[in-house]
Amino acid sequence: MEIKLKKYSSVYIVEVIGDMDLYSAFELKNIVAKMLAKGIGLFVLDLAKVDYIDSSGIGVLIHIYSTIKKAQKKLKIVNVHGSVEKVIRLTKLTHYFPIVPSLREAVAQLES
Amino acid sequence: METEKEIIIDDNNALLQREGYFFKEFPSDIRQVRFFSMLIVQKAPPEIKEINLLEQQISELIKNAVRHGNKNDINKKVRVWADFSIDHAHVIVEDEGKGFQKLEEWNEFNKKRNECFASQNFEEMEKYFAFRTEESNENDGGNALFAALEYWDGGVVFNNKKNCIAVYKNFGKKKYGLELNR
Repeated sequence: MEIKLKKYSSVYIVEVIGDMDLYSAFELKNIVAKMLAKGIGLFVLDLAKVDYIDSSGIGVLIHIYSTIKKAQKKLKIVNVHGSVEKVIRLTKLTHYFPIVPSLREAVAQLES
Repeated sequence: METEKEIIIDDNNALLQREGYFFKEFPSDIRQVRFFSMLIVQKAPPEIKEINLLEQQISELIKNAVRHGNKNDINKKVRVWADFSIDHAHVIVEDEGKGFQKLEEWNEFNKKRNECFASQNFEEMEKYFAFRTEESNENDGGNALFAALEYWDGGVVFNNKKNCIAVYKNFGKKKYGLELNR
């Protein structure tokens, strides 16, 4: 798993590339923790290049969303597709996570 | 209304039958869980769609066996039996541990979780994201079996000792309620 960070005006886009599984998902947790510590407030998690997620990955998504919420910061998750979308649905968390259809919408919602 | 799904505990359940099935035995090495899962999934016919998802679901069962069953003891084995067709996947995973003692508690937890989710009670829901025991660590998602019970629509069964899980998935066509007799 690889993580790329991009900034679009005041929004930080965290792009995950590869599998979010038991071996690697924790890396995302660490990066988000560091970003929060630096005072970053608007996050988009882009899962366009993630084709595989397991229960550890789901655990990390839950963790980062609740951490960001607790810090009174904002998160949107975009480009959830394929088996990632299925696993989230099987876990019944589709409506819990702040999933939006596109990066453009996510940025617009965060900046409004 | 759909009957409440839960994990069944029954030594005599038909899903625990494994005669003549493809069989593999693995050491309890967490680093190789996905590799082991791929070795099993290779036996599935190529017509099965969403092979990624099937691999993930099998991987969760092996991961639970390695981590929670055998406590990562490399000398303890995980045994997997599998049978696939274009219509089904039937997988049995057995470990050498003392069994999932909190299974009944898990069923209760899952029932409450489902109630919360049905009412979309987001506040209350957060309590039910993960099933944790004193043995859970921070990298445990604690959510694998919730998805398993949804995914394996033909049932999730444990033996009485609770160290062996059998799961069954139906693929495709029966959803449409139309038998195509060709």
